[in-house]
Amino acid sequence: MVKRTIALQVLGGVGAAALSFALASPAAAEEKLNIVFTHHSSASNPFWQAVKKGFDDACGKIQANCQMVFTQTEGSVDQEVANQQAALARKPDALITTLVDNNAFVANLKDAKAKGVIVIASNVDATEGPELELRQAFVGQNFIPAGTTLGRRMAALFPKEGPIRVLVGVNAPGQNWSEQRAKGIMNGLEEFKKANPGREITIDRLDVSAEGAIVSDRVGAYLSAHPDTTAYIETGLWHSNVARMLKDRNIPPGKILLGGFDLAPQVMEQLKAGYIQVEIDQQPYEQGFLPVMQVYLEKKIGLAPADIDSGEAVFTPEQADQLMDLAKQGVR
Amino acid sequence: MRNLFRIYLEKPELAGVALLVVLAALFEARSGGAFLSGDNLRGILGLLPEVGLVSIGVTVLMICGEFDLSVGSTFALTPMATSLLIIAGVPTRAAILLGLLLAAAIGFANGFITLTFAIPSFIATLGMLFIVRSLTVVISGGFPPLLPDDLATGEFTQFVGPGGLFRTSFIWFLAIAFAASALIANSNVGNWIKATGGHLEAAEAMGVPVRRVKLFCFMLCSVMAGFGGIIQVFRLHSPLPSIGDGLELQAVAAAVIGGTALSGGVGTVLGAVVGALLIRVIDNGLVMTQVDANWFKFAVGALTIFAVVSNTWLRRTARRIKVAG
Repeated sequence: MVKRTIALQVLGGVGAAALSFALASPAAAEEKLNIVFTHHSSASNPFWQAVKKGFDDACGKIQANCQMVFTQTEGSVDQEVANQQAALARKPDALITTLVDNNAFVANLKDAKAKGVIVIASNVDATEGPELELRQAFVGQNFIPAGTTLGRRMAALFPKEGPIRVLVGVNAPGQNWSEQRAKGIMNGLEEFKKANPGREITIDRLDVSAEGAIVSDRVGAYLSAHPDTTAYIETGLWHSNVARMLKDRNIPPGKILLGGFDLAPQVMEQLKAGYIQVEIDQQPYEQGFLPVMQVYLEKKIGLAPADIDSGEAVFTPEQADQLMDLAKQGVR
Repeated sequence: MRNLFRIYLEKPELAGVALLVVLAALFEARSGGAFLSGDNLRGILGLLPEVGLVSIGVTVLMICGEFDLSVGSTFALTPMATSLLIIAGVPTRAAILLGLLLAAAIGFANGFITLTFAIPSFIATLGMLFIVRSLTVVISGGFPPLLPDDLATGEFTQFVGPGGLFRTSFIWFLAIAFAASALIANSNVGNWIKATGGHLEAAEAMGVPVRRVKLFCFMLCSVMAGFGGIIQVFRLHSPLPSIGDGLELQAVAAAVIGGTALSGGVGTVLGAVVGALLIRVIDNGLVMTQVDANWFKFAVGALTIFAVVSNTWLRRTARRIKVAG
């Protein structure tokens, strides 16, 4: 009898929760703009929390009904495609999205165009093909020049004499953002190589993955095999894990130079500690904030969205304290 | 009520169907009528065959008493191999067949290692998960190869049916589901599979060729995963090395939600289909109903546990009523 009562109570509770869930419709105001942001990253990636904050803040300012959809697996293109499809079925006013592959999103973008949905690429753009025609603008970093800047700035810190060995970590082989940054880094390093024809310079590329623990394991193994490594440069923000690994191995800051992209609190910590020498920022908050404003301007005033380069700001350890303040506000 | 439980005991997958109806109603109400729109159904049904095929294969293997954790990697390697063959000039159908042969070989290797060395399939296929994923990256060189623009994939991806509601992949999926269902429910091989998974010693004593039955199920499972992967790559027109990551757990969840016993011997293909559909509906419904991104995985997890708990509770209650009656 007691068991049955408990079961009934549980069922009643579930029923009540389901009912309140069903009745709490989010589409309360008809006039509000509906904006969806889909991308290839999971909720546990700190970079994307800054984008989300920019997106949410912008939506709050224009009173829009907004939703950012993360993937369940980091970097999953097929999940991003599925999320886009579900989002487009609701016929939103605008779709803000990353275009990490040149072909996978074509069908969805065509569908969006047919429905009159504004499409703005943010963070990652296609490199070629029909997706470039189907999206109206791109807000984000120009990856190849940003990579080249990183390569050059790191090379400027290399010792003036002796052999040089550099490991370039590609976090997501085959994905536009990672490949283009890697290409840029290689450009910067090649310039250094050409300028120093007499020196022994080795540059290795490695698929280091986009998981912090795996990145530090793989780079750690490389460093064990090549203790003479001069620098590790990667296409993402997981070199903060490498910094921690160096500390565990009692390798002092600056012995192996580290450089990469994006400013998460963990990266700033290691920048401050002196393990990371150069960091390129692309202002994630802007990448969430500005596309929403562009949608607003197009819908309310008729101004067409335009490309915005959110930058390739270079940060060094001296700026770490100032950056930490911004990180506390969640905008870096 | 008693009759309802009795029906449930005969058709355990019906609980999944009931849950599906409840969730669909809930999502429909909360999404302002967009969930059941033709547009969204087209999306759900277009993606279902890919996970659905993997779930069918995994379910048949689980009924046989074994697991395959390498399905997600096979899901990536098969289309990668097929795509590279197509790019090398092999006719599409021949490339697909060769890809599926490769998948069958992976399944054979899984079965052979498990049975010959008498180790749990959980471990053998866990190893294979890494090996096959690595092979995918190796043969692609880390970069997704470019499929020819004019590649004819209509027999797998074209929209058909009323209002273009389905893709052709859905027809493949239905045909395969029916065939697999008939195999499990109405054939000698089906009985052998259930006997092998349910009572291995008894099945051996009865003269069931358990080793061959298990090998067959391993191979079937891998081929299903490979075919699902080919369909996905043709849909996306991009053979990405990362596809199918984490799919193995989704497929096991689909099988269990659909009433397949983790201990083997019990389960149906219809259950796998319902389970896969339920997972897709939950995934899609949560996007449609604008669940906050940071709570998304929580909601998927909670709904999955709820689905399995309610299924188990129903089964236990139904059995008790049957015993009492």
